[in-house]
Amino acid sequence: MRLVSLTLRNFRNYPRLELELAPQLNVFLGRNAQGKTNLLESVAILALSSSPRARRESELIGPLAAEATVEASVERHGRPLEMAMRISSEGDRTSKMIRVNGAPRRAVDLPGELQATLFWPEDLSLVKGGPEHRRRFLNELLVQVEPGYGRALAAYRRVLEQRNHLLKRISAGQAEAAQLEVWDEELIRLTAVIGSSREEAVRELGPLAAANQAAISPGERLDVAYAGPPPDFAQALATARSEDLRRGSTGLGPHRDDLVIRIGEQEARSFASQGQQRTAVVSLKLAESDLIERRSGERPVLLLDDVLSELDAARRAALLAQVGSGGQVIVTSVEAEPFPASLIELARVLCIEAGQVSPCG
Amino acid sequence: MELPEPLERLIAELSRLPGVGPKTAQRLAFHVLRGDRVRADALAAALVDLKDRIGYCSRCFNIAEGDLCAICSSGRRDEALLCVVEAPLDVLAIERTAEYRGLYHVLHGVLSPIDNVGPEDIHVPELLERLAESTVEEVIVATNPDIEGEATAVYLQRAIAPLGLRVTRPAHGLPFGGDLEYADEMTLARAMSGRRPL
Repeated sequence: MRLVSLTLRNFRNYPRLELELAPQLNVFLGRNAQGKTNLLESVAILALSSSPRARRESELIGPLAAEATVEASVERHGRPLEMAMRISSEGDRTSKMIRVNGAPRRAVDLPGELQATLFWPEDLSLVKGGPEHRRRFLNELLVQVEPGYGRALAAYRRVLEQRNHLLKRISAGQAEAAQLEVWDEELIRLTAVIGSSREEAVRELGPLAAANQAAISPGERLDVAYAGPPPDFAQALATARSEDLRRGSTGLGPHRDDLVIRIGEQEARSFASQGQQRTAVVSLKLAESDLIERRSGERPVLLLDDVLSELDAARRAALLAQVGSGGQVIVTSVEAEPFPASLIELARVLCIEAGQVSPCG
Repeated sequence: MELPEPLERLIAELSRLPGVGPKTAQRLAFHVLRGDRVRADALAAALVDLKDRIGYCSRCFNIAEGDLCAICSSGRRDEALLCVVEAPLDVLAIERTAEYRGLYHVLHGVLSPIDNVGPEDIHVPELLERLAESTVEEVIVATNPDIEGEATAVYLQRAIAPLGLRVTRPAHGLPFGGDLEYADEMTLARAMSGRRPL
C-alpha cells in the first residue's frame, strides 16, 4: 500500500498543494504551526473518512473558502486507486462528497481503501490515559480491516443516544418504560457485533504487540487483554435497568470497553515506568500495522507525526525499521536530527513553511 | 451591503425549508425578484391555496382535500390490508407501483426519544384504535430500514400483537436491475440472509 500523490485545496492552512511521495520514507521538516500535522491529517481522513482531531469538520476548510478537497492516488496491491473527498459547508451544515475511482462512496464505507496507521503525540497516552484512548485505537484499527464495523459502531452510538434520552424521559414521567425494550433489542444485537470484532482483534493483536515489545526491550513481557461487555449482555442490561433509569444513562456496553495492558505481572497503566509505557505504545502501534498487513496482505502507510523526538534511540529505531520492511512511512519532525544519515539518504525530504511545501534550504 | 427588508424576509422564510441553506435561499429569492410578477403571484397563491385546501385524512392521516383522503373514501380498496408508512410521500411511492390495493396509515414521524417523539406523537394510539374495530387482517410495517424506522417497526409489532393480527415487514434486498457488485455491504448481507428458495 502506498500513497503516490496527494493534492489539497483549501484544506486547513494549505490553499493549494500538489505532492508526489517517495515509495519508502518521506520526511517533512518544519517549525511548529506550519502545517505538518495538517498534512498527515489529510491522509488520515482518507483512511478513516473522518478527522481524528477536528472537533467540527468545518475546521478543515481553509479561510475564505466554501469547500476543501483532498485527492490522492494510491497504489494498492499494485493497482491504482483514485480517491477524492470534497468537504463543503453551507450555513452550519458540513457535508462530504467522496469518490473512489470516480464512483460515489458513503463516508461509512470508505475506510479500508487506503489503509494507514497514524501515530501522533496524543497516542503517547494510549497506555496511561483514559479508556477512551484505547477504544479509539481499536476503532481506528477495526474500521479499516472489518467491513461493516464502521456501520455497526455508528448505529450503536445512535441507539445508545436514543436509549439515554428515553431513560431520562421515563424517569421524568414523559414516556412509558415499555419503549425501552425496542432500543434494548438493537443495543444487544449491535453489542454482539462490536464485541466479537474487538475480542477477535485483540486476540490477534496481543501476540504481535508482545513480539514488538520484546524486540525493543528484550525480556519485557507485554500482555494485552480485552475487557468487553459482560458475557450475558441481555441479562446484565435487564438487571442494570433500574440503575440506568436512576442515572439517566446506560452503564453497560461497548462504550465502556477497555484494554488491559500488562507488562510482566503489573498493570502498565499504573505501575510501568514512563519508558516502559512508551515502549508499549510503540509496540501497540506497530502491532496495528502488523494486524492490518495480516488481514489485507499489504503493509499500511505509517504516518508518524512528530513522535520521534519524544522517543529514545531504541524505540525510534524500532519505528524506523519499518522503512526497510516494505511499508511506506511519512514522518514529520521539527528537526532532521532524529534520523540516521543512512535513512536520510533514502528519503525524500521536504520542508513545510506556512502551508507551502518545498525542497529544504 | 445590507439587503432591503422584503428581500431579507423572503430569504429568511426560504431558508427555513428543508434542504435549503442560506446561499440557496438567496439564489431563489433573487430569482423570484428577477422573474415576472405573474410568476410571483402564482407562487404566493399556490402556497396559500395549499394550506387552505389540503389537510390530513381523519382516519389514516394521509393528505386529504376533505375529511377523508382519496384512498379511505374510495370503497374499492382491499380492507383486509393496511400499510403503515412514515410520510405521505411514502404513500405516493407505493401507489406508483400499482401493486398494492390495501389501506394506509401515515405516522408522520418515527420513534425518536432524542427529538422527544413517542408513540402518541406519531398516531400510534389512533392506529391501534382503528385496528381494533376494523376488518384489517394484515398490517404491513413499511417504515424506513434505518435505526429509528426499525425501532418503530419493532414497537408496532409488539403493540399490535395482542390484537392477533398478522404483522409483516417489506423484504429487504437487492435493487431490481442493479448490479450485484455495486450493492453496499449492508444491503447485500441482508439480501443474502433473507434469501428464498427458487
